[in-house]
Amino acid sequence: MSVVDSLWGVRCVWLRYFDVFRKSLRYYLVTTFSEPVLYLLSFGLGVGALVGTVRVHGMETSYRAFVFAGIVGQTVLFQSFYEAAYGAFVRMYYQKIFGSMAVTPITLSEVLWGELLWDATKATTAAEVVTLIGVLLGDFTPGAVLTVLPVAFFSSLLFAGLGLAVAARAKSIDEIGYPQYLVVFPMFLFCGVFYPIETLPAPLQWVAWALPLTSVNSLVRTLTLGFPFQPGAVLVIAAWLLLLVAYSRRAMFARLVK
Amino acid sequence: MSALVPLRVSRLVKTYRIRSSDTRDGGALEAVRGVSFDVRAGECFGLLGPNGAGKSTTINCITGFFPPTSGEILIAGVNVHREPKKARAVLGVCAQDETLDTDFRVLDQLVRYATFFHIPVEEGRRRALALLERFGLSDKAKEQVEALSGGMKRRLQVARALISRPRVLLLDEPTTGLDPEVRRVLWDILMEQRGEGAAILLCTHYMEEAERLCDRVGVMAEGRILDVDAPRELVGRHIGQGEVAEEVRPGAIWRRPANLEDVYLKLTGTRLHALEPA
Repeated sequence: MSVVDSLWGVRCVWLRYFDVFRKSLRYYLVTTFSEPVLYLLSFGLGVGALVGTVRVHGMETSYRAFVFAGIVGQTVLFQSFYEAAYGAFVRMYYQKIFGSMAVTPITLSEVLWGELLWDATKATTAAEVVTLIGVLLGDFTPGAVLTVLPVAFFSSLLFAGLGLAVAARAKSIDEIGYPQYLVVFPMFLFCGVFYPIETLPAPLQWVAWALPLTSVNSLVRTLTLGFPFQPGAVLVIAAWLLLLVAYSRRAMFARLVK
Repeated sequence: MSALVPLRVSRLVKTYRIRSSDTRDGGALEAVRGVSFDVRAGECFGLLGPNGAGKSTTINCITGFFPPTSGEILIAGVNVHREPKKARAVLGVCAQDETLDTDFRVLDQLVRYATFFHIPVEEGRRRALALLERFGLSDKAKEQVEALSGGMKRRLQVARALISRPRVLLLDEPTTGLDPEVRRVLWDILMEQRGEGAAILLCTHYMEEAERLCDRVGVMAEGRILDVDAPRELVGRHIGQGEVAEEVRPGAIWRRPANLEDVYLKLTGTRLHALEPA
């Protein structure tokens, strides 16, 4: 099986998702972009007016700019996790389309790559919209629209891996609630979206650094606000990315192929 | 000349590993225990058997979705597990479950499915419209799948299996839940496909369907094919050519010609009532 054939299969699957997206564009625009925009308005403008500025790593920045950058990371996390966890579970379990695609000249491996890449594409697009808003409002450096792109994409792929792994292991759709409330929400609240993690007690900071979202936020703030680059962030993201993508594919194969 | 046989299943064995704690036989379930058969071009081959006989497992191995424990499956001479893309290019599958893509409308999903077989959108559209016409679904082309009745969904799923003009067609209980009229339309379509040279593997619980459509039938139980032959030959061999008498209600005896169902019940041993040659 040649690489070209495999890429063709992945592309077929990706185009299937894109076609669904295109056909229900209004629904997706509202559901994909309303959440980050509401967070931006609520925390950026509301809490931002209250807090004024924050000082991190010796750098002074407006709270609005700080939280905008955090919302980029939050968007990456939520959009890719939900699409891969709930979306893929519905496609795999209720629609059974993984099985129906994988008896054509497309293989299950290609279906899963297509799924992960689509989830990452969708989340990256949403994160780019938030970044663009930050640039237009003058909070982010203009180049951020380009420089954030690879970080957003690989981080989205990472959280899509988390979501797909959850979908593969969940016995029912309700079980997705466990990792959602025990892993995703804690990351959202403790990994530096709304405040610098340096304000947390030391043990909690270590936990926060072990979780991937802290590293995503760190890189995004380096690229959008010029915060100091923390090389460890790249390693943490790379490690979680490889682990979760490999595990999610393995778990999905184990579930579907007997 | 295996290359000329559209579908060849050779000594297929499939053992499932079971992880749950309540397994009795060492955590393994032998679903298929050495099954061999060919389906020739222009032949409809039926697989009959009770639930759990191994029919769906066999189908899942033929599609290349499940790897066989041992044995070999050749589709148009190509090993489906070594070269799944090549083998499945000539394979059409209608699974037992409803697997329609509910994110697409009726026509769109046939066109989308066609792209999985390298069929360009325009050509896929032409084929899809012709299939919808043939299956009596033309006026549903723009409908959401969810808006279709169960019988219409079933027809659509069979139509989808035909969009690539497959040389080998796998149909797992395609007529379940269809009313008699629609079932006959589907039978006609399947016989057209056979007439055009398709090799059809049909799993069904309807004995009349198997008797009508299938050139040969394999009766399966507990992972093995117990006997294979033309339906009339099987009836003659296992029941005899005469009539059978069956007590259908207390005191009500029916006399009728022996049929495939009698063979099925005799071979698979699930018969609860006595059946006596008249």
